[in-house]
Amino acid sequence: MGPLLHVDHLSVDYEVGAGTFHALRDVSFELTPGRVVGIVGETGCGKSTLAHAIPRLLPEPPARIRSGRVVFQDTDLLAVPKWKMPMVRGTSIGMIFQEPINSLNPAFRVYDQLTEAVRIRRLREAGLAPSFQAPQPHDYSKGAQVKGSDALARTLTPAPPPRSFGRKGPDPEELRKEALEYLRLVRINDPETILGLYPHELSGGMRQRIMIAMALSEKPSLLIADEPTSALDITIQAQVLTLMKELMDEVQTSILFISHDLGVIAEMADEVGVMYAGSLVEFGPVDQVFESPGHPYTKALLHSVPNRYKDGGPLPSLPGSVPNLSRLPAGCTFAPRCALAREKCRADPGPALEPVPAAPAGSSHRSACFFASEVPTLP
Amino acid sequence: MAARGVGTGESRLQRRFRASWQASRGLYRVLRANPLTLVGFILVVVIVLIAFLVVVLPPVTGFLLGHPVSIVPHDPNALLPCAVLPGNVTQCAQPPSVQNWFGTDNVGRDMFSQVLAALPLDLVIGFSVAGFALLVGTGLGLVAGFWDTPGTIGGAVSLTIMRVTDIFLAFPSLVLALAIAASLGRGTGPAMLAIMVTWWPFYVRLVRGEVLAVKHLPYVTAAKAAGVSAWQILFRHVLRNILDPLIVYYTLDVGTVIVTFSTISFIGIGVPATVPEWGSMVERYERLLLTAPWTVLAPGAAIFVTVLAFSLLGDGLRDVLDPRSRRALVQPAAASGLPGGSKSGTEG
Repeated sequence: MGPLLHVDHLSVDYEVGAGTFHALRDVSFELTPGRVVGIVGETGCGKSTLAHAIPRLLPEPPARIRSGRVVFQDTDLLAVPKWKMPMVRGTSIGMIFQEPINSLNPAFRVYDQLTEAVRIRRLREAGLAPSFQAPQPHDYSKGAQVKGSDALARTLTPAPPPRSFGRKGPDPEELRKEALEYLRLVRINDPETILGLYPHELSGGMRQRIMIAMALSEKPSLLIADEPTSALDITIQAQVLTLMKELMDEVQTSILFISHDLGVIAEMADEVGVMYAGSLVEFGPVDQVFESPGHPYTKALLHSVPNRYKDGGPLPSLPGSVPNLSRLPAGCTFAPRCALAREKCRADPGPALEPVPAAPAGSSHRSACFFASEVPTLP
Repeated sequence: MAARGVGTGESRLQRRFRASWQASRGLYRVLRANPLTLVGFILVVVIVLIAFLVVVLPPVTGFLLGHPVSIVPHDPNALLPCAVLPGNVTQCAQPPSVQNWFGTDNVGRDMFSQVLAALPLDLVIGFSVAGFALLVGTGLGLVAGFWDTPGTIGGAVSLTIMRVTDIFLAFPSLVLALAIAASLGRGTGPAMLAIMVTWWPFYVRLVRGEVLAVKHLPYVTAAKAAGVSAWQILFRHVLRNILDPLIVYYTLDVGTVIVTFSTISFIGIGVPATVPEWGSMVERYERLLLTAPWTVLAPGAAIFVTVLAFSLLGDGLRDVLDPRSRRALVQPAAASGLPGGSKSGTEG
């Protein structure tokens, strides 16, 4: 089975008054169905841009997708006309956002927003609303091969609506029942009451649960979680993470999990990508990346995690700061802060992701460092 | 509240009555929390009711009783007998009395009847002109604000709308309205048309600004991510969230339109002299201001009270329309933010 999502050399710029910010540079990775890929990195490294670029939710302008492909179920989403993108969103690619406080519409009750999501899925399932379908393998018995653009058009052609379905769509009572089911799924007690409340009457954790319920109720093949817990306080964060971990077993869906928290990623993800200054510097199975990092930045990142068993002394920190994304250094972007940096690093932009020498054979562990083999020697 | 309604064998009518009773009690609580809103609300209700009676009562009673009954005491155009003063001087402009509440004008017409007879016209003008501007302005403003990406078809449409709006806004709207009204000729219709033509650009500006502020908020992005189509996002998510300032602005605007229409009439290019209208009455009696001030004060006060009523109501509506303050006003205990603490949300 091929990858569900293949991000291929994706580059995104922000063009603002002060210049062009290279928010994403040549990001490539794959997500196989049923897996959880984590993306980790510090603030401003392009994690959220990546999350928003995949379902094309970036405001364009100021954002501009410079190059690359986002291949989802064998269709390049960047080649899909913008007005057709709503068909992909929700039921094919769902999303959970960073700010649960603002991600629910303040003017509507939970009921309205949750049933809206359920309704969208029901309509698409019934063929009443156009939806994204994975392309069928071409049937060569029927003649010449279809050209690329035709194949794309066919991919997004709405199925004709069945005549038996009412004009008003799904029955409101059924929608309500299903909304209640999803509230129970995200472990909300007393869903009947919650359904009638407005977002401002709910706590942050509650709102995030509802956001998760909304995203799941559309049964997406891919769920993008953009720092779903960073706006919550620590106990609620733990609750939501536990919930998500439980749901991952119940609802079979692939997840792209974005976080700045290494601990969260270690807990949730199967594979992890480490981002620095807009590019992916390391990618591989979580245990391998965290056990034997193949990039000095990953090493430094792991080194800076506070250890509750070790006492005394200031927390280790990395000298220098993230380079300005509008004026990137000529060589490797990490070279100015890197202990391994040599002349070559300052001149050459660095290799693409290459297999880490220390990784076991057949592993997907790759790193964008010339001297990956020397990383274990770092403190 | 659920326990009362279920299983008691209430008829549909009873249930509907109970629902509307509860809704009106909620409205009353909101109004009581803010006395000025209550004043505005009562005034608006009374004004609209009177206007309705002025129009509807005579034909209905004429049909039912055989002779029309009206709350307007005199025919507004009938000349009442003038007083004859010593020296055989006739004095037609009578000060307010029991017979003529607002006095009479210089030819003996009852001021109270004139003010009352003018009420429906002025109200209809206020509602319809502001309503027209609301519809046109909101439509154009939504389009201009939502599809404003430069270099696209939407961007070009948006740009065109905004430049045309700017051209209208560059003229002082009153002067423009006067020019249009004057070129169309005297009459109620042309004067209304003139205000309609000049009124909508303000709504375009307001709506576009609100749309621009709302459309990049996280909940709109979240709706997009859920696969909601552009039109549904625009009409469901964006429009609902900008509706509150819009309705408030509309209620305030009804008063402003009445004043503007009165101004056009005051200059003498609005309604004909035989049609009672507050602005034209102020104009007509302007020179009596010192000798018979009640002739000017009566229509002036009518304009003042009407505009004030809508302004007060508009201010209060802001609180009523926002779900956050609404529930806080109706049920102070429910505003704690704890999901378990509120019991008011189960209905619907």
